[in-house]
Amino acid sequence: MMNGPDSQRENSISRRGFVAGAAAGLASLKIAGPLWARTNPELRAGKFGALDASTPGGIDLYIEKQEVRVDEKIGQAITINGGFPGPVIRMKEGDDALIRVHNRMHESTSIHWHGILLPFTMDGVPGISFRGIAPGETFTYRFKVRQNGTYWYHSHTGMQEQLGHYGQLIIEPAQPDPVAYDVEHTIVLSDWTFEDPHTAMKKLKTIEGYYNFQRPTLANLSAQVEATGESLGEVISKRLQWNWMRMDPTDIADITGATFTYLLNGRSAAQNPTFFARPGQKVRFRITNASTMTYYDFRVEGLPLTVVQADGQNVEPVEVDELRVAVAETYDVLVTMPDEKAYTIFAETMDRSGFARGTLAPRPGMSAAIPARRHRPMLTMADMGMMHGAMEGMDEGDETKDMESSHGAHAMNGEHKMDDKPSTSVTYPPHDERRVAPIKERKPLPIQNLPEMVQHGPDEHGAASIAMAMHAYRRFDEPGIGLGKDGRRVLTYGQLKALQTPPDRRPPTREINLHLTGNMHKYIWGFNGKKWSESKMIRFKFGERLRINFINDTMMSHPIHLHGMWMDLYVGHDYAKNPRKHTVNVNPAELLTVDISADAPGQWAFHCHLLYHMEAGMFRTVAVVRDLSGEPIDAKS
Amino acid sequence: MPNPKRRDVTRILVSLCVLLAGGPNAWAQDSPHQHGDSEHAEESPETPEVESQSRLPEAELPAGMTLDEVLARAEEPPPDDYPDAIPDDHLRAFFIVDQLEYRYDLQGEPDAVGTEFSAWFGGDFNRLWLKGEGEASWQGEDFEGESDVDLLYGRLIAPFWTAQAGVQYANVWGGENYRDFWAAALAIQGLAPGMFEVDASIYVTEKLNLLATFEAEYDVRITQRLVLQPRTELRFSARDSDARGIGAGMNSVVVDLRLRYALWREFAPYLGARFEALVFGTGDMAAAAGEDNSRFFVLGGVRFAIY
Repeated sequence: MMNGPDSQRENSISRRGFVAGAAAGLASLKIAGPLWARTNPELRAGKFGALDASTPGGIDLYIEKQEVRVDEKIGQAITINGGFPGPVIRMKEGDDALIRVHNRMHESTSIHWHGILLPFTMDGVPGISFRGIAPGETFTYRFKVRQNGTYWYHSHTGMQEQLGHYGQLIIEPAQPDPVAYDVEHTIVLSDWTFEDPHTAMKKLKTIEGYYNFQRPTLANLSAQVEATGESLGEVISKRLQWNWMRMDPTDIADITGATFTYLLNGRSAAQNPTFFARPGQKVRFRITNASTMTYYDFRVEGLPLTVVQADGQNVEPVEVDELRVAVAETYDVLVTMPDEKAYTIFAETMDRSGFARGTLAPRPGMSAAIPARRHRPMLTMADMGMMHGAMEGMDEGDETKDMESSHGAHAMNGEHKMDDKPSTSVTYPPHDERRVAPIKERKPLPIQNLPEMVQHGPDEHGAASIAMAMHAYRRFDEPGIGLGKDGRRVLTYGQLKALQTPPDRRPPTREINLHLTGNMHKYIWGFNGKKWSESKMIRFKFGERLRINFINDTMMSHPIHLHGMWMDLYVGHDYAKNPRKHTVNVNPAELLTVDISADAPGQWAFHCHLLYHMEAGMFRTVAVVRDLSGEPIDAKS
Repeated sequence: MPNPKRRDVTRILVSLCVLLAGGPNAWAQDSPHQHGDSEHAEESPETPEVESQSRLPEAELPAGMTLDEVLARAEEPPPDDYPDAIPDDHLRAFFIVDQLEYRYDLQGEPDAVGTEFSAWFGGDFNRLWLKGEGEASWQGEDFEGESDVDLLYGRLIAPFWTAQAGVQYANVWGGENYRDFWAAALAIQGLAPGMFEVDASIYVTEKLNLLATFEAEYDVRITQRLVLQPRTELRFSARDSDARGIGAGMNSVVVDLRLRYALWREFAPYLGARFEALVFGTGDMAAAAGEDNSRFFVLGGVRFAIY
């Protein structure tokens, strides 16, 4: 099962060796798993095994709270089979998965299979799919595996995900894999804090910007002048403009390196986990961002990456130098090891307050230089939806000198300015979560050349929403904040094309406009100004194809995740090629459209995957029902 | 970092608040049932025979359930024994002492100790507030001072603004004299464009005098932890009040400057200066009583939060 002499340190699996190894690993884990956990009180984070859930007897997962050494300090973690992250779970497409989850903690728990199509009772969301797994109880998950690719799993109970309750899930395809590779490595990016997550939540709720130590100050005025190439007067005037709006252009991550230790497979940057490949070998990295709050910019310094899969779905290969992995997204990339040298695997956080790191090398003990950290980015007026017109001059860019962007985003070349033809801009009716047209009136919606921007309606979302953006617009060709200005090729959503057209690509006949809203000052988050406890269920009609237009009113990026069904992401090209995703990142002031086949009856979770946003209310229950004629259901009855 | 002792203080404060407001429901979150009418009126009933019905997808169903059962279940709220999916309506408490300081008088008048604090308990939108300030000074046997405390119900009425209503208890003491005053209070508190923290209150006293105070402060961040905070406080009265020694119109101006260093976000020692003046009629009354009508202090203290 292991590849290379020292690879026990990392989860490195060669394809051919896997099956035999998995069986052996399974046998040993079943007996030894919970035992070793008890005899090793100074367990180190980053030790995790692999299990095959398609074997007839199924697998057992033991959830325990124990002391774990994280980067030389002891923390209270939640381990799965004694490890954190949990074991890499393997399944085979077409088989039945059988997983018994034993809760050995004093609190309730759960496991949600992220991105997996299954009956809603197996989805693992306490309060929606089931009761949760009580202390001492065993819950058996059993479902048919109907897909393949790289996914992950995590607790959906409270804030357990922050404490290590997650792991990678790999489903082998039933048909021959279109992706050829010699060796594969699991990369689970995450963030860890020694604080109680509830304490962190309390701090965010009571003291604004608690963890942001990168704010504009008098002391960094000259640094900003130097970095932007603007005059002191311009910099000061921009700061005053931001102040006038009561906004902070450095509000990019709510929780930062001030408390987070950034981890790659449970190891800190100092521990430098090493992955092995011989020269000429093609390496498949299966990357999962299992963070609670951290967007990572991933690269292997000096080597091009070929992106072959996004959210478990094969895509037409795209070669890039860097890719942003939003929270809860997964990407598979191929890297060819060129020579006998070591290469740094570098995952810098979006706010640049830290990084996770590893090494790709032919032999143990090798390492390469850690790349220089980039300046922390600042939000621009574009992130306020003000870029396309009179206020364009206010764009302050990143603290990087090169303002001539290399990404060619059409937003930058003024293709849709405010004074454009009205056909590119629409005003969506407000608050229409439950506004439903009679079926007779439903016409197929356009699937190409969708509006490039929407104007914020006359609606106010109330005290829970600070909506500064007057417009939201398509940003799928933009690399994202802080990227694309240093000559690196960065993956954009616009480059993702499904390798094979999924079966259902009917045009949708109904659309729902969902504003992503929040009050950063009070740390209230929600959709259309309402948090979960104030909302009613969003209803999908079983069998229908519907569209959701996300309109991000906030100045933060939100990774939106729908359980149980795919979201087909509109990225401007051939409709048949739109990528299928389980989690879509919506940038500040972005209009992002997804089409959904409502083919999974039951009730499902639908939420922002930033854990603290979700816990603060950025969550909806979706009910896939027989028809839409009944009364809306209170999410909280 | 909260320690058990501090948590006790919070708990006492919270119990007090509960007692005063007549039970926890007084400021509970908005009922989710409030919007039962217009929004669903738009929903039109559907005809049962629909072309898309004929191409219902093949769904994988939970073991032992038919499609009808699953669709019926999807129409139901979750069973009673299910926990809340998202506990997003927690009640929380927060107590911040903005000033706890020693004020050293530069002109030979008595030194003073002063404080200003605020606390809240409640949810995101509805909160119970306690806001107060006080000053005391000694000279030999003389011990005098004044304080006021507002107990208010507050509601977040706009993203940056909380409206508050309640009562104020104020007192003035010196030697044998002790006077106290009750007033009804209305306030608006929040963040004004430009990042100014503003708190404006009006009070109607027992004697039907109208008082007002206006406070504004601004944080000038020098480094990530070093902050210079200018602050001003203006007081007004509609009528003369001998009991309080104030005249009609604006009666006092306070201008503070504090330089604090945040060791943690919840704990910051500071140094500063304070200028206060009694103005117009109030200044004349003070002068008539043989008091200075302006004072200048240098000060040192600590700002801290408990939660």
